[in-house]
Amino acid sequence: MKNELYNRLSAPLKKIGLSPLSVAAFILLALFPFVSPNAYITKLGITCIMWGTLAMGFDFSVGYINVSNWGYAGLMGLGAYVSALLLKFFDITPWAGMIIAGCTAAAIGFVIAVLTMRMDAMFTALLAWFVGIVLQNIVTALPEITRGAMGLNVKPIFRGASPTPYYYLILAICILTFCVLHIFVNSKFGFSFKALGQDIEAAKAIGISPFKYRTINFVVSCFVAGLVGGFYGHYIGVLSPNVLGTKNVVQILVIAYIGGRGSIWGPLLASFLLMPIFESMNSLVEIKYIIYGLVLIISMIFFPGGICKLPEKVRQIIKDRKK
Amino acid sequence: MLKLENLCAGYGKLDVLWDVSIEINEGEFVAIVGPNGAGKTTTMRAISGMIKPKSGSIVFNDVNLEKKSMKDIHDLGVSFITDGGNLFPSMTVKENLYMGALSIKDKTKRDQLFEKCLGLFPRLGERLSQPAGLMSGGERKMLGIARGLMSDPKLMLVDEPSLGLAPAVVLDVFKTLKMLSRNGVIILLVEQNVNTTLKIVDRAYILEQGKIRGQGTSKELLASDYVQRTYLGIE
Repeated sequence: MKNELYNRLSAPLKKIGLSPLSVAAFILLALFPFVSPNAYITKLGITCIMWGTLAMGFDFSVGYINVSNWGYAGLMGLGAYVSALLLKFFDITPWAGMIIAGCTAAAIGFVIAVLTMRMDAMFTALLAWFVGIVLQNIVTALPEITRGAMGLNVKPIFRGASPTPYYYLILAICILTFCVLHIFVNSKFGFSFKALGQDIEAAKAIGISPFKYRTINFVVSCFVAGLVGGFYGHYIGVLSPNVLGTKNVVQILVIAYIGGRGSIWGPLLASFLLMPIFESMNSLVEIKYIIYGLVLIISMIFFPGGICKLPEKVRQIIKDRKK
Repeated sequence: MLKLENLCAGYGKLDVLWDVSIEINEGEFVAIVGPNGAGKTTTMRAISGMIKPKSGSIVFNDVNLEKKSMKDIHDLGVSFITDGGNLFPSMTVKENLYMGALSIKDKTKRDQLFEKCLGLFPRLGERLSQPAGLMSGGERKMLGIARGLMSDPKLMLVDEPSLGLAPAVVLDVFKTLKMLSRNGVIILLVEQNVNTTLKIVDRAYILEQGKIRGQGTSKELLASDYVQRTYLGIE
């Protein structure tokens, strides 16, 4: 009876990239500000959703087409500066600014893809990394526009000190990203992405164009980075070139890998488990990146499949015990 | 019809094939046999578009393939089954099969091809939800061929299907290929297992050091002194 109801709900929800379980999880997330004891905890919720969304976008490339985007934080930071500067110099509303930020990151992603997607995935990762470093240096070298290392004050989207409106905005971005990425994954595109990620020669042999599908995937993933970056700038209020740095890529990568590659939901869930721990380690300053690395190595050795493979493992253990 | 004329191909500056000419008619089951490193797989790769020929022509059903992309060649009805089967190990048998029909837009046709494949390879039907990576060598070969069939090909390029298989399984695979050729699919097979190959194919070409050393019907080749001495070990 329960299964019947679940299946009946699943079919229409799948069309919009959701499942009964994900709907329930998002409803719980939507209720979170009502039970949050203070603004700090709500802000922690925003941090979890924001990095979780970035990790979902990152996983869309690394988990499906097996292309790691080491410039992901660079593109996120680019999005943050684009939206902030559009508001500052051209008075363009942050709502449009965030979309333009996403498109700018997608355009840079497109250039990276056009140059490297005919080659091994390592070249894409390296070029994306260099692009991130170059973007960081450009931001530092143009203090008259970006205020460089002095920091750029960014006007907020919402008036007032309450983090709740930001919470709902990033939750909306998160749900939208979740749905769009799942629609892609469940379509013919998704099959092509998975095929390319598993064996590029085999994919070619069945008529899948690696260049076309890897480029589409990479551009979509970069758009997510820019969009979330646009939000980040207006939410945080101050931007410095550090936001484009490789350290942030490490953070996204740790969340995405521990969440499990090729699941979308795994990295989002991992963010809720890891970000509160990472936040509590802020006082450790640089040492926390060593801990990130250790966590990543340990998870790769003992849980190579990540969180997303846990239900399957539990199911297998129960099955074995029944035998 | 597939026609290769004076085909030269290789990798970078390394030439592998010199003036290879092959002709296969509709419904024929033809093999290219030869020792390791003779250029058999390179010939397949050139036909499938995986590598571009340096000179010469490849014509399939009046269409020149030399400058076409792998996708275009696949869409023309050429299915390339590599020696490893080119399977997606984490995907299930069913997903692997449907991957083969990715370019077919008509769902009914896809389902029909799926049923046809299960009819040809009933063992796959019992393992539909199993990941392809967990199958035995023989089953993987079957799945590779079945997935090739899912694109409803007019020409199948099958690279070393006997590699790593028990003799009885090899015979099963060959018989299935023979049946497919009788149903109108052109089959070009590349093999080192000369003895079994010549017993089942219609004609064969002998490729040695990148050049066609000889050709003929299976009977002619099996009776030839050169084949007996070099490939069958009969003095």
